[in-house]
Amino acid sequence: MSESFPVEELPAALAPLPPAAALRPGPVRRIGSFLLRNPGGVIGATIVLCLVLSAVLAPIIAPYDPLHMGAGRRLTPPSPAHPFGTDEFGRDLLSRVIYGSRLTLQIGLIAVSISLGTGLLVGLVGGYSGGWVERILMRGTDVLFSFTDTLIALAAVAVLGPSLTNAMIAVGIAAIPYYARVTYGVVLVEKSKPYFDAAVAAGAGHLRIIFVHLLPNVIPPLIVVASLGVSAAVLAAAGLSFLGLGAQPPSPEWGAMLASGRDYFTRASWIMTFPGLAIALSVLGFNLLGDALREALDPRQRRR
Amino acid sequence: MARYLLKRLLSAVVTIWVTTIAVVLLIHLVPGDPVKIMFAQSQSTTPEQLETVRHNLGLDRPIYEQYAIYMSRVLHGDFGHTIRGDQPILPLLLGRLPYTLALALSSLLVATVIGLGLGFLAAYKRGTALDSLCMVLAIGGVSVPVFWLGQILILVFAVRLSWFQVAGSDWRSLILPALTLGVTNAAVVARLTRSTMIDIFNQDYIRTAWAKGLPARTVLSRHALRAGLVPIVTILGLQFTYTMGGAVIVENVFSWNGIGRLAVQAIFQRDYPLIQGFILTFACLVALVSLAMDVLYAVLDPRIVHV
Repeated sequence: MSESFPVEELPAALAPLPPAAALRPGPVRRIGSFLLRNPGGVIGATIVLCLVLSAVLAPIIAPYDPLHMGAGRRLTPPSPAHPFGTDEFGRDLLSRVIYGSRLTLQIGLIAVSISLGTGLLVGLVGGYSGGWVERILMRGTDVLFSFTDTLIALAAVAVLGPSLTNAMIAVGIAAIPYYARVTYGVVLVEKSKPYFDAAVAAGAGHLRIIFVHLLPNVIPPLIVVASLGVSAAVLAAAGLSFLGLGAQPPSPEWGAMLASGRDYFTRASWIMTFPGLAIALSVLGFNLLGDALREALDPRQRRR
Repeated sequence: MARYLLKRLLSAVVTIWVTTIAVVLLIHLVPGDPVKIMFAQSQSTTPEQLETVRHNLGLDRPIYEQYAIYMSRVLHGDFGHTIRGDQPILPLLLGRLPYTLALALSSLLVATVIGLGLGFLAAYKRGTALDSLCMVLAIGGVSVPVFWLGQILILVFAVRLSWFQVAGSDWRSLILPALTLGVTNAAVVARLTRSTMIDIFNQDYIRTAWAKGLPARTVLSRHALRAGLVPIVTILGLQFTYTMGGAVIVENVFSWNGIGRLAVQAIFQRDYPLIQGFILTFACLVALVSLAMDVLYAVLDPRIVHV
């Protein structure tokens, strides 16, 4: 600790201050630099990137047609020709797992879009409008929340009937309360700040207040919820498919593959090992990424 | 206190009331004719039989009348009869409920022991390799699909090692399902416990306790753990609802005869009266448990009542 100000640092201290924006890195750079310092985040981002690449490049990298059956090669163990082995219909498991990544990403994106879109709307409208609209919307969210997501998803599938699309919708609906609550909480906090009153006093319209003032504050926490939400949606939809209430055979959806492999797994454990590993890894990837994003974006977590 | 509890009781009643409305509406949300869908799997039903079913379910009446009839029946303990086998629904559900509760409670026990232990250890040894190891285990546990873990445990412990049996109804067949569900829940409990305990370890009075030179045992048990009890009870209460949700899947993996397995069969068979009964039972159970948790919470931390 120095007693007096070091003379050699004087010119630097007298130089004009850089603009505030340069001193405080923006959220994108903050996330970028944080991810690099956070090994979990790097692993998560890598897994998610691999998943995306496998989904995009599926027709190029998959060695076989995921639906092509071969009577002569049923339940063959992993070998150089079939690195993950074959299933009960002689289909190449590696190709099925690769094509399954497409469905997994699709499930994650569609389910999260449904819950994010609806939850954001409910939270924004509920928090901003106040009064009876707020009471009805948020009370409804509370009730939905107390139903638990499993029950909502099961009820939605019971109504719509078992299929992959319906499973995505069901999982999406089930997660709406989480997004609504997060949005609502942020809106309430922002509403109590002086700038909000200033904006209202300055005569800003409803749409301007919502889009210019509220939305930018809601986005960062929602990115975190959505990233963790993808992993929850993938897990839930795979669970529904495993129960037979989601994707139906011969779809290479990982949960459905696990379900159809159940009768053979004592003889051919690879039939369940690889799709299960694929689900676990993808979910792990989104969880790690979501955790890292939360630490990067949540000031409370950063201070620790 | 009384006012707080009354408010909580009221909110539980509202939840259950909304559930009854949702359950009656459910059948009308089905795209197409629900009665035809219910009987789509049996070829030999005549249009007259379908009409009889429609009449028995009250679907030929206005919706408010249907609701009134359903409510008066439910309040008299009559949940109707299943479409397949014409069994009374309430006794059927109540017969299966103990199995689900046994699974949920035993897995909650597993989750509490493992999760609290790991979370507390990680928070106490914060920033060390042990902390990292605990958290790697926890995030791995959160990511593993419960149906896959169950299947692996069956393969290893029931098929290869023959230590446990599967698909029975006694306590020995409960061990594997309880472990499966408990381990995945333990991961969540561990993460929440860790962050709760870190907050507590950072409090001034804990630092004072250390500075006074109190032995570690006293600081941990008398000061830290006691303060952590309230948030941890809340975590466990929330965990119960997740456990009930997970039980639906685990019951199907292990052929455990609880209400979750019954519900999935009902969805397959499009047995709407049974699905309605299941949803209502499940929602009531969850509402009652969260009410009980709120009461416990108020007893443990009197401050909450005044907020």
